[in-house]
Formats: sequence, structure tokens, C-alpha cells
Amino acid sequence: MSRLAALLLLLGLAATSLPGCASVRPWEREILSRRDMAWEPDALEAQRRNHIYFSKEAALAGGGGGGGGCGCN
Amino acid sequence: MSTSSKRSRQLRARRARLRRRARRKAAVAKLSPALHALTTSALALPGIAGSASAATPISEYTAEYGYSQYREDALPSSKVAPGQERERYEIDIHQLRLAAPLGQRMDVTLDLSHETMSGASPWYVDFDQQSGRVVQVMSGATIDDRRTDALLQGTYYFDRSTAALSGGFSIEKDYRAFNVGIEGTREFNEKNTTLSGGLGASFDQIDPTQDPILAPDRPGREDKQSASIFAGVSQVLSRSTAIQGTATYQHARGFLSDPYKRAVVAGTPLPDRRPDQRNQLALLARLRSHFEALNGTLHADYNYYLDDWSIEAHTFDLAWHQSIFDLLRVIPSIRYYSQSQADFYAPFYFAPRGDGLRASDYRLSPFGALSYRIRGEARIQLFELDLGLNAGYERYESDADLAFGRVTTENPGLVSFDLFSIGISGRF
Repeated sequence: MSRLAALLLLLGLAATSLPGCASVRPWEREILSRRDMAWEPDALEAQRRNHIYFSKEAALAGGGGGGGGCGCN
Repeated sequence: MSTSSKRSRQLRARRARLRRRARRKAAVAKLSPALHALTTSALALPGIAGSASAATPISEYTAEYGYSQYREDALPSSKVAPGQERERYEIDIHQLRLAAPLGQRMDVTLDLSHETMSGASPWYVDFDQQSGRVVQVMSGATIDDRRTDALLQGTYYFDRSTAALSGGFSIEKDYRAFNVGIEGTREFNEKNTTLSGGLGASFDQIDPTQDPILAPDRPGREDKQSASIFAGVSQVLSRSTAIQGTATYQHARGFLSDPYKRAVVAGTPLPDRRPDQRNQLALLARLRSHFEALNGTLHADYNYYLDDWSIEAHTFDLAWHQSIFDLLRVIPSIRYYSQSQADFYAPFYFAPRGDGLRASDYRLSPFGALSYRIRGEARIQLFELDLGLNAGYERYESDADLAFGRVTTENPGLVSFDLFSIGISGRF
């Protein structure tokens, strides 16, 4: 838990220090709005692959909550 | 029908579609000047879960369908007990995603999937004295099962924040899981910085199929609960580069063993027994960077994982999204994974452990895995429909030699598989 607390603190510090490091205006976001710039451009593919890796490997994939378990063999 | 009249009909349909889109965007723009300025870049900085937009609700109805075939390689005869050569798991996966705007500040997404599974799965690991090798004993009968999964999520959009609620279930013949989640995002710094966070919980129940002859000591109905929390930050670095960092912590308690697996202790296969608690931590870092000169985008992901069963894992994922005339996209990618073993894991045990734990499941063994993927996407305008087609293939191979550290005894049950997929999507 102490590692998690340290990490959350680090994330918080990073978030408060980040505002000074970018100056991209709303009208300069054409590239950022491209579909291939999304964190997960295809939700179905991401769900499918994450579920398979979850079933065959020990690690938890980071990136958010949601979804239930399964009795996968 | 003549070519010119067909063309003019297509043009009229396209104008009608554009007018309809403009009306929807205008409705969203009424919400605030800031949203209006961002209407054309609504997809920027999507949320943690990878939804299409963090800042504005979707403006079009979307339907997506995907079909996949998952095929595990049969184990070579050198890795299985004599006479145990069997087809491993095969899964057919159907997925459907429906998304719709709900008023001016909400949207709702429904994800459904249905899987049919068949094949044999690893049962326990043994030492074959004749060959002097560690071998896998497979489950006797072919397993036939189905899994249905549904997840409904509703998102409300404030001017600079979002709040989402989700609920879902996963049901198999012998397994039921219900889950709920809440998550939110908050934008700062002219939407160049986004903080995200959320909570989730899952309530699972397993009711193993009984086999009084082969496994008379198989557990009966058991429960498991898990809770997770995540927090993350996304940052725009330039007009073409963004990064994201997320920490996810999960606590699980209850029946965490596998009722269908056994571990050999002093020559006798006994039921798999794992701790009744598990604490897991995952740290994910992601980069998205577009190269205008090449019309391609680099995706680079790294996931670090640690749990209190002493498993540490690293995942690297690199993908290149090459656009061709903005109608086609080709995406080659590569993924590397490595994990260490659980502290109570062993291929087999010469004597019982003091704490009574035992597991020879390959998923708790030390190994590495390499996978290669190729995917193609095409977009077609068909009258009022914005149609997307995609097809992909992945080859996944795991091996003890691919692990970061040295592995003395490879688990013979390590899996390799092929995954074929096709999909279609429509926006209207």
C-alpha cells in the first residue's frame, strides 16, 4: 500500500506541474483528434485482447477498472 | 440507373448526412463556447478506458460487430504424458458494441460478447520417469462451455469533466460474475491535461462441475470478491504527441484457487490451493505520437505489474498505425511479456509446503511471451452510412527462454495461439 500511496502522490505532483509544459490551443488539435491518436482506437479489439491476456497470464493490465472475472482455463 | 443519376443521389445523401451532423454538433455547441471550439477535435485526449471522447458526448449512433477465432496449439508429444495428446482450447468470440447519444450531455454504450469454448485444458504437471521429463497431464474430457458478457455504461458530460457509471455481468455454466464501476475525468490547462480516476467492484461465484470419479475432492460452490481503484493523468506534449500514466490497484479475496487444476505433492495429485487474498498493482505508461511526413502514428505502451504472490511482470507493446490515403490503415505491432513465478508455485512438490499451498498452473510459472499482430482497416462512405471494415491476425508464443530471468524448469503447459478476427462498424 505504501508503494501505491507514493505513486498516487507522484501522479498528483506530476499533474500539478504539467500545466506549464504544453501550450497546444484548441484550434491546433487536428492531429490529436485523429482516430489513430486515441489511447484505444478500437474498443472491441482492446477488450478481446485484454481478456485473452488476462486469461493466459498472471498480470493485471493497467488502465482502468470495469469488467468482471471469468472461470477461464 | 444511369451513372449521373446514381452520383447525384449519392451527393444528395451525403449533403443530408452532413446537414444532420451539423445540427447535432450545433446542439452540442450550444452548451458552451469552449465546447463549440472543440467540436472539430472532440476526440482529443480520450479517457482512460479509451472511449471516443472525454470532452463531449458522441454525436452519432454507432454499431460495431466483431468475430474472432482463438486457437491454441496442441502441445508437442514431448511435453505431455504418454497418450495425452489432445486439442487444446478453441474459442469462437462474437462481440457487439452499440453506442448512442442520450440528450445533449449524455451517451450510453452497451458491450455484449458471447464465446463458445471447447477443448482440453492442463490438469496437473508430473514427472515422467520413463522419459525423465516434466510433462503435462491434460483434462480427461473435452470441455464445452459458453460465456456471455454484458457491460452497460452511461457517461454524463460537464463542461470540463465527465462522470460515468457502469454495470455488467459475465455468465458461464459454472461461473457468474457481476461488476459495477464509477469513473470520472477532469480537464485542466486548456484541456491539455486530464486527470482520471475510478473505482470498481466484482462479485464472482463459481459452482464447479463435479466429477465424482476423477476428482471426488473438487470444491463445491465458492465465492470471490474484488475491488479496484485507478488514477491517471494524460498530458498533451505537442500538436502531435500525448502521454498517459495510470496506476491501478486491485484487492481480491475469497476462493482464488482453480477448482479444475491439481498439483502433484509427493507423487499424489491434490487439489490446487492458493492464498485467499491477492493484492495487485499495475502501472501503465502510454505514448501516442503522429509523424506527419509518414502519415503514421506510433503507439508505445509499457505495463509494470507487481502482486503479493511475488509475481512481477513487464509488458511492452509497440504498434505503428500507417494511414494510406486516409481510407486504409495498416497496423503492424509487436508485444513482449515476461513474468516471474508465484512464490508458492512449483511444477510439482517433493513434500507438502508448510502453509499447505500448491499450484502447478502455467499461468503462475515463470515465462515470457512474444506476439506479432497485423491488422487492416478500411473506411467506406455508403450513402448515409460511414462504414468501417477490419481484419486482423495475431500469433502468440510463450516460452520459459523468453523470460527476463533464468528459468530452471519450464512449465510444459505454456500456451501458444493464433487469433483471427474480422469486424464491421457503422456510424449513422
